Amino acid sequence: MITVEQKKIEEITEMTKDVERLLVLGCETCAAISFAGGRRQVEELCAALRLARADQSIRGEITGDSVARQCEPEFIDMASDKIKESDAVLSLACGAGVQLIAERFPDKIVFPGTNTTFLGVTEKMGLWTERCAGCGNCLLDKTAGLCPIARCSKQLLNGPCGGSMNGKCEISKDVDCVWQQIIDRLSRLDQLDKLSEIFPVKDWTPAGHGGPRKLVREDLKS
Amino acid sequence: MLKNKERSVHYAPCKAACPILTDAREYIQLIAERRFPEAFASIRGLNPLPRIVGRICTHPCETNCKRGQLEAPIAIAALKRFASDGAWADQVWKPRIAGPTGHKVAVIGSGPAGLSAAHDLAVRGHQVTIFEALPVLGGMLRVGVPEYRLPKAVVDAEIKAVLDLGVMVKTEVKVGKDLKPSDLSDQGFEAVFVAIGAHEDRKLGIPGEDDLEGVFSAVAFLRAVNMHDRPPVGGKVAVIGGGNTAIDSARSVLRMGAESVSLLYRRSREEMPASPEEVEEAGEEGVDISYLTAPIEIRGENGRVVGLTCIRNELGEPDAGGRRRPVPVAGSEYTLDVQTVICAIGQIPQSGLFAEDFEIAERGKRIHVAEDGSLITSQSPFFAGGDAVTGPATVIRAIGAGKQAAVSIDAFLQGEPIPKVNMGESGQTPRLPEAIIEKSKQFDRCGRPTLDVAERLEGFEEVESCLSEHAATREALRCLHCYLGARIDPDKCISCLTCVRVCPLGIPEANQMGEVVIDPVECQACGLCVVECPVRAIDIGFNRRSKMFKEIEAAAATTEEGAATLVGFVDLYGNFSAADMTQLKQDYPNILPVPVFGLRRLDTVDIFKAFGLGAAGVFLARAPGETDPFPETAGRVDRVVNYTHELLASLGKKPEQLALCDMPSEGIIDHAWFEDWLKQIG
Repeated sequence: MITVEQKKIEEITEMTKDVERLLVLGCETCAAISFAGGRRQVEELCAALRLARADQSIRGEITGDSVARQCEPEFIDMASDKIKESDAVLSLACGAGVQLIAERFPDKIVFPGTNTTFLGVTEKMGLWTERCAGCGNCLLDKTAGLCPIARCSKQLLNGPCGGSMNGKCEISKDVDCVWQQIIDRLSRLDQLDKLSEIFPVKDWTPAGHGGPRKLVREDLKS
Repeated sequence: MLKNKERSVHYAPCKAACPILTDAREYIQLIAERRFPEAFASIRGLNPLPRIVGRICTHPCETNCKRGQLEAPIAIAALKRFASDGAWADQVWKPRIAGPTGHKVAVIGSGPAGLSAAHDLAVRGHQVTIFEALPVLGGMLRVGVPEYRLPKAVVDAEIKAVLDLGVMVKTEVKVGKDLKPSDLSDQGFEAVFVAIGAHEDRKLGIPGEDDLEGVFSAVAFLRAVNMHDRPPVGGKVAVIGGGNTAIDSARSVLRMGAESVSLLYRRSREEMPASPEEVEEAGEEGVDISYLTAPIEIRGENGRVVGLTCIRNELGEPDAGGRRRPVPVAGSEYTLDVQTVICAIGQIPQSGLFAEDFEIAERGKRIHVAEDGSLITSQSPFFAGGDAVTGPATVIRAIGAGKQAAVSIDAFLQGEPIPKVNMGESGQTPRLPEAIIEKSKQFDRCGRPTLDVAERLEGFEEVESCLSEHAATREALRCLHCYLGARIDPDKCISCLTCVRVCPLGIPEANQMGEVVIDPVECQACGLCVVECPVRAIDIGFNRRSKMFKEIEAAAATTEEGAATLVGFVDLYGNFSAADMTQLKQDYPNILPVPVFGLRRLDTVDIFKAFGLGAAGVFLARAPGETDPFPETAGRVDRVVNYTHELLASLGKKPEQLALCDMPSEGIIDHAWFEDWLKQIG
């Protein structure tokens, strides 16, 4: 999932203070799972913003709504009535969703209500951790299912650096050294010999370093 | 009543087991909410004799109650009595009587079946006359059940409520003898409900039964006791039989100075039909119960009973009724030294009175009625119900028959087809898995407040008293709210697994495609998944937040402009009485109390709702920890309050305006704390 975190309310109220009719639009996939932008959070945020406006005597009306995913144009369009009736939209989706609204409704002001962070997994309720950097050339077969691009602070590809101490990264004792974990797991799987395969210099183009990426499937284009 | 309804698999187990489909779940919830007048109204709307039923019902609802799979079933009958005995009862419920239809109906017999039929027919606007053979009304409620179980003052009050609907009564008229059934139509009665009960004792058929002094038949004996004729019983007494009538006889005769009482039953304890509570109390009072014992001869001298010869039995093959047949053990005869023998081996209706008017069954001389459940006999317009049709049964079944008769007769009088009734069985209550039983916190069932044995035997004072408000409230809070639990809307569910993770009982199950189901039998409606779901995909039938919001809005609308409202979310699991709540509202008229079944049900948005309606302050009153049925969720309200405090601070509001307080061991709020808080928020 993409993890998103709702922006601090002070930032949101500041962003939207001049908006009269504000639409708070939620997203029922990643943002909902992150407890940042699903229906429950839309309801809560609308109530908070109304309270803030009442106290500060700010004029205007807050409407809340939600769609299944803000990364699909059809779903954005289904909210078009509400979007058109608003003076601005506060999107609680990830950055992709915010941009798609702006693209479908280029005359509408769109604000981001969340900070999009990483691709990760739920470890338990309330704790998500980064796992994938979207590098576009997955090498997890060589590293026993542990990603050194996403989880090594230096994105090293050929083993730990000298700063790896007692299984921890030199930047913080709270950060595990993923290379230690890779070595441990390769040993467990009896695949340590994979370490002797040296990674060549990485082409970072698929990772986005060469510019914004696109994924095209000719077999699916109608 | 039943009409065309099939017993639904979605009725709560208590309702499904009840012959009149009482919504016990509803009135139990109202008691838990301290809304006692409404609890009574819920009961009285369907049951015309609640104070009687609350005392002597065999409560099949309790046998079915799902709580019984944890520690013990809810004391549903005792709660019915609590709601019906209370001072509020008479003031709140007024029946709505339909306009007069002009139809006249005769009811023969003023026992529970007759009274219920009369009540429901009168409510529908028909003119009812009850014909009663005895000089007093009530049938077995008056002349059968002893005073110490059912005070006649209670019977009088319940009967008066029925008669107050405009029902006419003719006592000391025995239809079939003083008046022929066919005469009734001459008198203008267009339909007749025969509810004569079963008031004739079966005979033992042993020597000495008919000609000795000191031998009594139970029905005649109990009738005499209840009519205040003191039958001459004394010395050592033997009571023969194993039903409630036998126990009633035994316990009554103990109170009348008998030296000792032995009850002889021909089968074992497991087969004994008497209510377990009755058997237990009889034992406590000193009745000596002898199982697998049968009488073979009553011995007399000078025309008086001097002894009872008995024989021991052993259990053989089951008989037609399914119970194991008792077989005498040869050579095991012995003689009991007794001076009084009471025979209580069963009752039959005096249906011979009607042999020429409609069909009487062979078995037990019961009045035959149609298979379709309409209660019509072989001869229209005669209907019949209660013990006269079923043989000796229970009060609640008789009430069910009376209510059914009213439905059938009403249709009949309107010229409409008599509705076919589905008499399907209610079915077994589904079993809870072991894992759920283990994870469920145990709360003991309330005790039965009874007189101690010495006091009981001094006379016929009522043995069991009504539950206290405190006991009734705690008992009602044990209810598991069957079938009112969480339901996932599959169209909204995003398979985030939050409900799976937060449920204290581990009930939601997800398959690998992310379809999540919540078993409606297992769910105890705690409300946690409902409030945690990030997409609000879960609805619940119990303590719905939408209803709570409406109540807050409605109450806020009636508050004066400018009055500083304080919204207080009060945990119903706390130890407070209805009077405490009234007192709180009197002491602080600007508090808007919002009762909830556990603070775990609340979310930030509920607190904001209160502030949004203009509340100057919001407090959450938390019940003592030991009352929480889901203790592992106790931390949630702290997290919600902390989070909301931060949010309020970020919005520039004073965080003190939101407070979480602990309820005192008794009462709703700690006054010192409250006054302090009021000062803090200004």
